[in-house]
Amino acid sequence: MPRIAGVDIPANKKIEYSLRYIYAIGPHVSLKILKAANIEPGVKAKDLTEDEVGRIATVIEQDYQVEGAARRFVSGNIARLRDIACYRGLRHRMGLPCRGQKTRSNARTRKGPKKTVAGKKGVKELSRG
Amino acid sequence: MTRSQKKGPFVDEKLYNKVVMAKDRNDNSPIKTWCRRCTIVPEFVGRKFEIHNGRRFIPLYVTEEMVGHKLGEFSPTRTYKGHISGKRK
Repeated sequence: MPRIAGVDIPANKKIEYSLRYIYAIGPHVSLKILKAANIEPGVKAKDLTEDEVGRIATVIEQDYQVEGAARRFVSGNIARLRDIACYRGLRHRMGLPCRGQKTRSNARTRKGPKKTVAGKKGVKELSRG
Repeated sequence: MTRSQKKGPFVDEKLYNKVVMAKDRNDNSPIKTWCRRCTIVPEFVGRKFEIHNGRRFIPLYVTEEMVGHKLGEFSPTRTYKGHISGKRK
């Protein structure tokens, strides 16, 4: 199993897909990296030579922010929004969606698991059922 | 959808002129504005604004990090104080 960009160990898939297991590498970047490293996207990750793996690693190191660096970049952006207290920052603080989605229903990804409120309409039926 | 690059950022001209004039006069009193849609440009940095939220004017001191946002983003229009705790009643 080849090892690229630190801890990541992409599996026994085509390199084009296994690169995507690295944080901040998606379909587009994956193909771009392979092109820059001059490697056929269809090759299985396990069939790559040491040299090819090294080439991919250097391309990533030089031109892309992956894993920790990318995570820091994202959380830094969010921290900035929080600090300046703009609308998006406030929504981040409140743990609500910040791109204008409705929160009357759904929005469970941001709000977390349902918290049932006693005395609200429909709860009796729910607890019986 | 994001605004077309070719148009450049939207800045309310009246407000912009006001800011520049205040700067010339070395006047740093807050500028009252209703123009929530106006982008914050570098000239606004270090200035004080009071941005209308439909009811009140929310004071804002513009810092460098706020450049590129709209004035309205810093003046919340909704009040939500949370729900009354469900246990009592």
